[in-house]
Amino acid sequence: MEFLNFVLIFAAALLLLRKPEKERLAFRLVVASTVLMVVLFSIATRTSLLPGVNY
Amino acid sequence: MRRDILYTILAAAVLALTVIPVGAAVFVLGFINGDSPCVMCWEERTAMVLIALLGLFVLRYGPRPKYLGLSILVGAWGIHMALRHTAMHAARDVGQGFSIEILGAHTYTWALFIFLACIVTIGLLLVATRENDFEGAPRKLRPLDKLTLWVFLLVTAGNIVQAFASTGPPPFMGQGDPVRFTFNPRHWVWSLEEYSSAPVSLRGRWAIEKPDVASVSADSGAGPLADLPALGIREQKRIALPLRGTITDLAYDAAADRFLITTQQGVYIVDGSLARILRHTVVDPGYSVDLGRFAGAAFLGGGEVMALGENKSYVILRPDDRADAAANYRYFLESFDRFVELSRSRLATVRARMMYVMSLAYDPAGNSLYTVSVPNSKMRRLVVSRFDRRDLTLSEEFMLRPASDSGLKFAGEKRSLDELFVTGATVADGRMYAISAAYNTLLTIDLGARAAVAAHAVPCLVRPTGIAVRSGNLYIIGEDGLLSIVPLP
Repeated sequence: MEFLNFVLIFAAALLLLRKPEKERLAFRLVVASTVLMVVLFSIATRTSLLPGVNY
Repeated sequence: MRRDILYTILAAAVLALTVIPVGAAVFVLGFINGDSPCVMCWEERTAMVLIALLGLFVLRYGPRPKYLGLSILVGAWGIHMALRHTAMHAARDVGQGFSIEILGAHTYTWALFIFLACIVTIGLLLVATRENDFEGAPRKLRPLDKLTLWVFLLVTAGNIVQAFASTGPPPFMGQGDPVRFTFNPRHWVWSLEEYSSAPVSLRGRWAIEKPDVASVSADSGAGPLADLPALGIREQKRIALPLRGTITDLAYDAAADRFLITTQQGVYIVDGSLARILRHTVVDPGYSVDLGRFAGAAFLGGGEVMALGENKSYVILRPDDRADAAANYRYFLESFDRFVELSRSRLATVRARMMYVMSLAYDPAGNSLYTVSVPNSKMRRLVVSRFDRRDLTLSEEFMLRPASDSGLKFAGEKRSLDELFVTGATVADGRMYAISAAYNTLLTIDLGARAAVAAHAVPCLVRPTGIAVRSGNLYIIGEDGLLSIVPLP
């Protein structure tokens, strides 16, 4: 899934360079990538969502 | 500040973020040194790339609020990720960590500083932003902006290659323990292990409940040890002392014929008949070291007394009739002029680290202090820890097992001494006597052999919390003040 995420990021950056008029699409790709990153990290740390230290 | 200077600073910051942590990670650490990010590293790297990308959005379209807002959100999430990641290794010994170290710190630790630097940089750029900067058409990219974009695309392309090799196409995702990076597809590992079933928790193994003597079964016939002989009670009475709180431990000083009783926060020196309080104080548990609830008490010799919290934090007091009440205001909640506080700190254990304790015993012969752990829902062990009185540092630990010649038998294959819930302990003649509120069981532990040499049922106890040796008898006290006197086994 990290592969997919970097493809989304690459596509957004390419739009900035080549098709700046597609700002909405580029920003949506960034939002999608952000959500995917949050979901993936949460999956990986679901057994202890907060930092595992003495509170 | 002039706008072109501001955009130059932003381009330089994006370039630095793209090249130094992310570019170096993929090209130098990854492609050259074979380092593969774990799943958490991948997401931290993604967050850095996203912040850089949002900087590129600002270079292209100006500082629109949605770019700035999202970059701060990603930065905040990045700090959370780095803290979560660093916390896994922060308490290890010096130099230990996960994967490689750069300039004295492991990579995930650097992530924390990088995200903090990102947030600070965004804040500074926002301070320099004017209100009319938020409007306007897309900017024409300058050569530096174009260079930054091209470098960003190159670094992202590198990450695409590494991510494909290390994590695979969807639905495969990053791994907790990735194998080293290689361009040889025969060694690529694509895994779905992170999707496997696992309990969801906020604090994971740190979500440990406080010990509660009322939560355990007192039925001595249901304990882990079979066919235990019962100890007859010589005398049973209820002591009536004006204590603040319920009793949490008991100790005896033969030289002065007096007892020490602790309550949740109270320290009471009581006469040998347990009828009169000679002196007392109530400790402020929140001053400096969090003492929690007292669970252990001991005389240390020389008149000093020690009260131990269930979280292994302690306070050492010395009786003093001329104590400065004004100076003691910070330490005590009442009776300010009866003790001097000598020290307040914490005992550290290794095997009992994730467990609370409900007992404390002092062995004058070895000048050592002992604690015994109580089990919890995450960790079930009976660990005896010994601390040197001189520096109050851990000297040894052992997990209690029956001595081979003790004749002790378990009631089932899966039963063990780890089920016991030791709430009181005392040492006499090289032996520890430990009372377990679970199954009302008295253990006799040979401290030299580090093993249980005997065990007895004491059926009539009600929530025992303390034990002391006096004149060949064991004085076992319950939290409600019920004192049971039994012969030493």
